[in-house]
Amino acid sequence: MLVKLAWRNLWRQKRRTILTASALALALILSLVMRCIQEGSYSANIENIARLSTGLIQLQHPEFKDSQSIDDLLSADPEFIDFARELSTVETILPRIESFALAASGDKSKGILVFGIDPLPEDIYSSLSKKVISGSYFSERQNKGDKPQVLIAEGLARQLGLQPGDELVLYGQGYRGQTAAGLFTIQGILHFPMPQLNNQLVYMSLQSAQYLYSTGDLVTSWVLHTDSLADVEQAASALKQYYQQGVNVRDWLDLSPDLAQQILMDRTSGLILMYLLYGIVGFGLFATLLMMTLERQREFAVMLATGLLRSKLLKLICIESAFIGLLGIIIGLLIAFPILIWLLFNPITLTGETAQLMLEMGYDPIIPVLLDPQLFINQIVVVLGLLVLCLIYPLLRLYKIDLVSALKGGAHAA
Amino acid sequence: MSIKLEQLCKTYNVDTDFPVHAVNHLDLEIKQGEFVAVMGPSGSGKTTLLNMLGGIDTPTSGKVLIDDNNILELHDKQLIAFRRDNIGFIFQDYSLLPVLTALENVEFVMQLQGHSEEECRKRATDLLIRVGLAEHLHKRPAKLSGGQQQRVAVARALAPSPKFVMADEPTANLDAKSTAELLDIMQQLNEQEGTTFIFSTHDPRVISRAKRVIVFEDGLKKEDTIQAESP
Repeated sequence: MLVKLAWRNLWRQKRRTILTASALALALILSLVMRCIQEGSYSANIENIARLSTGLIQLQHPEFKDSQSIDDLLSADPEFIDFARELSTVETILPRIESFALAASGDKSKGILVFGIDPLPEDIYSSLSKKVISGSYFSERQNKGDKPQVLIAEGLARQLGLQPGDELVLYGQGYRGQTAAGLFTIQGILHFPMPQLNNQLVYMSLQSAQYLYSTGDLVTSWVLHTDSLADVEQAASALKQYYQQGVNVRDWLDLSPDLAQQILMDRTSGLILMYLLYGIVGFGLFATLLMMTLERQREFAVMLATGLLRSKLLKLICIESAFIGLLGIIIGLLIAFPILIWLLFNPITLTGETAQLMLEMGYDPIIPVLLDPQLFINQIVVVLGLLVLCLIYPLLRLYKIDLVSALKGGAHAA
Repeated sequence: MSIKLEQLCKTYNVDTDFPVHAVNHLDLEIKQGEFVAVMGPSGSGKTTLLNMLGGIDTPTSGKVLIDDNNILELHDKQLIAFRRDNIGFIFQDYSLLPVLTALENVEFVMQLQGHSEEECRKRATDLLIRVGLAEHLHKRPAKLSGGQQQRVAVARALAPSPKFVMADEPTANLDAKSTAELLDIMQQLNEQEGTTFIFSTHDPRVISRAKRVIVFEDGLKKEDTIQAESP
């Protein structure tokens, strides 16, 4: 009977109920769309950065993070990585050698960063070949006498005055103090929109890097990519448990702290904006709930006089409020969901310099949306939390209602 | 079951220089089955007295004994349960729940007692038929006349089978015909079921039907007379 009573009470003031539920729905729609776009762009950024450089997870020697030394290596043996391969959420596994060297050509030299990669899977993963602006990507077959190939970044090529077909000398320190020196042919020139990368990257095959640095069958890192960002935590945890102390399992948060920080700040400001919106709606909701309570004091007093327990009276108000909240949530979801589905298939397209920059990086200039159930659940929880917050004072007043004053219809009954 | 008041006082503005004694050292006993009218001018303390009899208001001092148990010693929850099971209320403005039908209004108070849906439906229907509303069971209060609403209120007050019914000026908003009909119903229920009715009123039509009339003025009982039954 309480539920029936609450439902009917709701429609005594149809316009007020609909307006309040609509305000809640509007806040929910705006927050949900904003959060889905926000999280979608974060996911895309993380995914893009991961594919461009770090991957979502890396396995490294425990000392490598601090030392960045070619002495701190992991096995490149397939058996070593078998466990990671067996994880259903891991979609890509790439071995890499990452170290420093001095690049020289003629009388010019420069400190550079060397990436030793497995050309074919790496291209599938990061579309490296699409960044080639001159020359070509690594050729699959090389004759025995040919010098090993390298791809160098555009800025570096310009500084050293190099073109495809030219030779490049790399000199540095190899595994356990050995000398790393080699002569390479420039196969292609790569363009990176970020100057930091564009001025110092040199790619070569993993075998060439292992030979250059005399690492044998060792690598500096294994780069892993999961099916989705949401799988990273679980996969990293499983890897940590398996490899224990022998391997440092680093997720993207650890690998790209700047990006993580930037996302955290952006997310925080977004959340502040969202809570501000809910705060404004909250005042409206609070006023409605308070009115719902104060204007019916006599009615409540009659109910109490005829034997309704105070606890049940509070329950009645809670049910009425819950109905308003649910109504707002249902309306909000019914409107927000089609909008988000539409945005999923027709994402917002960026224009101007930002779009150009993204295109240069090899990404689509769009703002994707992320349809994560957790985002929906979070918003619903926020609405219900807001409802509970707004209910505290009206319930308190109702709990203290003075029966005699309320029966007289007194303004200070509660 | 009887209600006994011992030295009952209700004073407003106690801590001021001008205290108002709504009920002043009242001794009174009302036995089960009585049909009592408490009459007096406006502000004489009738409603306050009824509220204290029904356990709604708390006296400043004195006792409200029901079968020698002082209801003032009951906790809030016990008092609500006591009211629910023993006392029915009829208000001047009917005070029906506007979103419930006549039948549901009557059922509601029975459901508070924990009766099954079937029991509630049966008794509520019976009561509404007895008060002459057989054709209006499923109408909401807004669709009923004042007299009909007050009859629903009577049925609601009687639904939990209370020992006492407190009626605060029940005929104040009714026309002569509705008043007569309502009084007939209440008198009939009093005689057939032994329910005690206590009215606060200054309506001579009610006073003429009462078996006992208590005249109340300035918080004091001025008269308490048993009336000869009308022919």
